[in-house]
Amino acid sequence: MVSRVLGWIDQRFPLTAFIRHELTDYPTPRNLSYWWNFGFLAGFVLVLQLATGIFLAMYYKPDVNLAFDSVQHIMRDVNYGWLLRYIHSTGASAFFVVIYIHMARTLYYASYHKPRELMWWTGQVLMLMIMATAFMGYLLPWGQMSYWGAQVITNLFGVTPFVGDKVVLWLRGDFSVGDATLTRFFALHYLFPFLIFAVVGIHLVALHTVKSSNPSGISLADKDNIPFHPYFTIKDLFGLGVYLIIFCTFVFFIPGTFIEAANNIPANPLVTPAHIEPEWYFLPFYAILRSIPDMLGGVVAMGLSVVIFAILPFADRTNLPGGAHFRPVYRAVFYVFIADVFLLGYVGSQAPTGYLVPLGQFATLIYFATFFLLPFISKWEERWMRARGLPPELTALFQQRQPREKISREREVS
Amino acid sequence: MRRLLAIALCLAACCAWGETETVLNKVQLGTDLPTLERGAETVMTVCVGCHSLKYIHFRELAKLGIAKDKVDTWRGSNPMGMSIASQMPPEAAMASFGKTPPDLSLMVKAREGEANYVYSYLLGYYTTPEGATGNHFYPATKMPDILAVAGVTDPAQHAQLEQKAREVTSFLAWAADPRAQERQTLGYYVLGYLLIFTTMLFFLKGRIWAALDKV
Repeated sequence: MVSRVLGWIDQRFPLTAFIRHELTDYPTPRNLSYWWNFGFLAGFVLVLQLATGIFLAMYYKPDVNLAFDSVQHIMRDVNYGWLLRYIHSTGASAFFVVIYIHMARTLYYASYHKPRELMWWTGQVLMLMIMATAFMGYLLPWGQMSYWGAQVITNLFGVTPFVGDKVVLWLRGDFSVGDATLTRFFALHYLFPFLIFAVVGIHLVALHTVKSSNPSGISLADKDNIPFHPYFTIKDLFGLGVYLIIFCTFVFFIPGTFIEAANNIPANPLVTPAHIEPEWYFLPFYAILRSIPDMLGGVVAMGLSVVIFAILPFADRTNLPGGAHFRPVYRAVFYVFIADVFLLGYVGSQAPTGYLVPLGQFATLIYFATFFLLPFISKWEERWMRARGLPPELTALFQQRQPREKISREREVS
Repeated sequence: MRRLLAIALCLAACCAWGETETVLNKVQLGTDLPTLERGAETVMTVCVGCHSLKYIHFRELAKLGIAKDKVDTWRGSNPMGMSIASQMPPEAAMASFGKTPPDLSLMVKAREGEANYVYSYLLGYYTTPEGATGNHFYPATKMPDILAVAGVTDPAQHAQLEQKAREVTSFLAWAADPRAQERQTLGYYVLGYLLIFTTMLFFLKGRIWAALDKV
């Protein structure tokens, strides 16, 4: 019966071929570590955010007079409304934890190298879209921090040359953040996840063309690839279990961790909170914004700090595979960069006074220097490593790779 | 070295995040009915004179387990489904204090330090050398010293006030998060299930991958 139904479908739609190609025959390097789980987790969080968000939207009211009360209505009166809302609010932070780790893994193993540039860039687009979605979603509870955060961030667009005021007006739909802003942010916050879903599709098509990277940094021989199912479905599921244990601990026992105290006060345009502070996932970028004394310069630096990751496939000019796994200098640069991001995050969370101002500027300098010095560092590192003699492990990998490349080049010629 | 640096950074961050101008007193909240009931008594007979609790309905007080006749006394002629309003009209409050007293339903969640802040604030009143009343934790406050803490020097009497502040804070903590109990109970089941499920997945993964190692 099952085979007959499948046969009927397969004549009309390549279902079995699709499952084979993408799942049961899809070749995956067997040496992937648990750091390769985070792509799947990001997809899971996206689906969870969508599912909870749609149900929240059934009770939420995007109106300045009703928004705050409707969130309390969800939290208190709607059956399991508190669960939906806390999964959604914790999920926003979890999303950034997961994609930041996913990105850090890519950086560590330099997975952005040829042929995965498009994976890296579609990932960048996804990150920007997720940031926009998170920012718009944060306005919806209409608390003090929602309101003033949106006010400050939309204000930044005022530095656009010539049309700054018009751009701000266009974004807000009013002269200050108000009902028009709330309604349009709600509409876009509902729309964006579906666009993200589409870009995830592109990200996955690219992935299934170039296949997963792996810790060694080279394409493995066929004998070292194993089918995605069942080996990686079970590995991803186990990772998901661990993730859910941590996630649910936050949702059920410390759900207030990611909700600012000030956001439990309804938005009040007449009272400015003592500290206006973005959510933790924007703090490093916020610190870069504040460390440039000029506003236009600050906004440009902040924008640049988010999109500058895109130059990495060109900036890292090495021929050595495997990223930080085989390259001690690149590894040092990686850890300095990560420590610097944490430092920026800390500076961003504090009021900009005293020693924190020069510290923030120093950290900003290190942040950008990493990207601009990497072309020279990576070239020099390769020369130094070759002069010193490559480790035998790496030489073996190189020898494995050369013939394969030669073959493909010969194929191209013929 | 890396690890040391990471630990040092974390410590620095924790210290910096933990600091407030005045150190808050810690309060051990009660979730038992007698504590909540005594807290509710104070809130409904004293605080509601000026403050509202607009997200709490009288019905929910009865559902919490507070005796029906007590709830009836508090609500007077108001229906059970009505939310708790302030007994002072906003205009009168503006006239006497210069501002409308804030709603209390989310007060515990709406301040840095949460319950510890509310508890410390209630007990934070003192008499200035000029004979006026001040508050250590919120110097600009317009609220009078409602528990009459400022003049108290007798430790036994102070302990009594601490008890009262604790009850009020416990009740307000319940009001800010009435589903906390339900959430935690469900949380234990969810985590228990996930722990068992994940352990099973771990062993299943080992079994599936074991076939691979033989090749």
